[in-house]
Amino acid sequence: MGNTPKIKRTIFHGTALLLSFIGLLLSACSKKLERTTIGISFEILQTEYWVASIEAMKDASQKNKADYLEAVANGDANRQFEQINNFISRGVDGIVIAPKDAHTVIPIIKAANRANIPIVIYNRLPAENKGSYTTVVADNYDITKKTVKYMCEMARKSGNKHKAMILIGDLGDINAVHRRNGFNDAIAEYPDTIELVAEIPTEWNQEKALAGVTNALQAHPDISFIFSSSDFLFPSIISALKNVDKYHPTGHQKHVILGGFDGDAMAYKMLVEGYLDADGVQDVYYECDASIQAIIDRLDGRAVKQTISDPGFVIHKDNLKEMAPKMWGANWAKQ
Amino acid sequence: MKASFFKTSGAASIIYLCLGYYIVMAFVAPGFFTVNNTWNLLYNLLPLLVIAIGQTFVMITAGIDLSITSIIAVTSITGGYLMSSDTAIFDSPESLIFGVLGMLLVGISIGTLNGIAVARFGMPAFMVTLTTMMLFSGLAIWLTQSQNIYNLPEAFVNMPYSSFLGIPTPVYLGVIVLGLSYFLLNKTLLGEWIYAIGLNVETSRISGVKVARIIIFVYAFSGFCAAIGAIFYTARLETGSPVMGQNILLDVIGAVVIGGTSLFGGKGKIIWTFFGAFFMVLLDNSLNLMSLSFFLIMIVKGSVILIAALLNANREKSLRTT
Repeated sequence: MGNTPKIKRTIFHGTALLLSFIGLLLSACSKKLERTTIGISFEILQTEYWVASIEAMKDASQKNKADYLEAVANGDANRQFEQINNFISRGVDGIVIAPKDAHTVIPIIKAANRANIPIVIYNRLPAENKGSYTTVVADNYDITKKTVKYMCEMARKSGNKHKAMILIGDLGDINAVHRRNGFNDAIAEYPDTIELVAEIPTEWNQEKALAGVTNALQAHPDISFIFSSSDFLFPSIISALKNVDKYHPTGHQKHVILGGFDGDAMAYKMLVEGYLDADGVQDVYYECDASIQAIIDRLDGRAVKQTISDPGFVIHKDNLKEMAPKMWGANWAKQ
Repeated sequence: MKASFFKTSGAASIIYLCLGYYIVMAFVAPGFFTVNNTWNLLYNLLPLLVIAIGQTFVMITAGIDLSITSIIAVTSITGGYLMSSDTAIFDSPESLIFGVLGMLLVGISIGTLNGIAVARFGMPAFMVTLTTMMLFSGLAIWLTQSQNIYNLPEAFVNMPYSSFLGIPTPVYLGVIVLGLSYFLLNKTLLGEWIYAIGLNVETSRISGVKVARIIIFVYAFSGFCAAIGAIFYTARLETGSPVMGQNILLDVIGAVVIGGTSLFGGKGKIIWTFFGAFFMVLLDNSLNLMSLSFFLIMIVKGSVILIAALLNANREKSLRTT
């Protein structure tokens, strides 16, 4: 009688082991991946831009008759590293990653290289490393410079000297650095018209942006020229401008010349309503198609450039009708 | 009868849950049952397990350590600062030793600070560790100005991929922490005191247990374990980061609670936490392999932890009513 629990336990453990063994056999015989499968890993889906990008990646995969797996790391570089390793275990044929930053992506590139899986880095240039990869990234410097030059021309035409403010992103993000450099180089060509009085470090955070813009407008109430390094910071700018009665459309005497970068739905609406003067647009569809195509080309043995640059474009009231169909935010706004 | 069911099967259920889930996923999740993925599971388990072990010690004393995320962040940047060739504080071979020692020292120090506040000043553990979490997270960001620290020594960043006698180095580290914790909790008087404090702090005090010292020790040990976790994370990302481990708190507490450690103290085992952490890693890995959306994964994980906490509270209630 005393042995009954022991026997029961032995039976249970034996059954469990048997089930494990059967599981092992069946999984070994399980269906292998038949179509090309691409692992798509995004650091975060915090803004419309990233959501639009991941959707465009999925569409591009389907257009190329490829399956996809998706993973989002919620801003955690470690989790993203683990997710990429999961993709590798899953046996994906290629990886597209929108990394957290330029450096934490390096061990991820190494992991993909070790597994001999082609990897495309989307939207952020990795720091210098010896790995094999392709980067698809917007020409942040050039798009920003063109956008800000358009704004500067507007300012010059007004005949007044303008005090300017820029909202800077996270300076650990190379895109933020390029956008700031593009802005600085553009206004440097208009010393008679533009005087930079405020640089707001936002670290891509709306609360920091709101506090920074509010403080800057307090210190310099005559600011009349604002560039935001990302469209997703517009709500903070609008809130701060409304507080000091400076949020008015083009043509109004208190209108602040406003520009941004990304091309999101809010920027499109603001352009249509006349509150936004110019926006640098990343061509999400081009970048996502290029990312998936780079994987397909690598798998087919075709040569792929190490960096594929998206020239993007500037959208403003004069070319709004013509360029809106190419602006991803315009399509989102209409959905 | 109900109480006896919970008492006997509650702890073992996590082992069977892991086993059952593992078998199901072997059929359902493509790529799950492969050698590569087994290594993945192991590598993902080690840091979480080590940090969860520290949390187990604290929770057995009926406390909680919410500051582990900030300890990971501060120790990560400390290691980065001491080891990076950009700062060049030490020469190459010494930088590794001083970096790792510095990380452990900082982790233990913050843990000790938590312990002193809880034990000597009688402050609630929840409030103390929540405050230190904010304080040290802010400090890490302020010290680095949100910048990551790179260019760590090759020996350090290659550690996760190095091996000795065919066994990866991180496994040795994990086994050492696991063995040490098991020994402390199960084979020493200190372990008995830790359980006693969790069961009834006043009775322990009257019985001559040095309650304050033990509480300080468990928080210091939790800091030590968080620092070891930070070593794993920093090495594999090749980066000292002020936001390292920012999102890991739910996984750590989830691992301990799912493992069956009582939220009310006095009960918990290292082996339970091992399986709790293993289950969390299994969950993440399998749902990821099945390509479920991020939001769905969060919902599933949150639900599992909530159910585990409910069962935990229910079990406790049943035991107290018998």
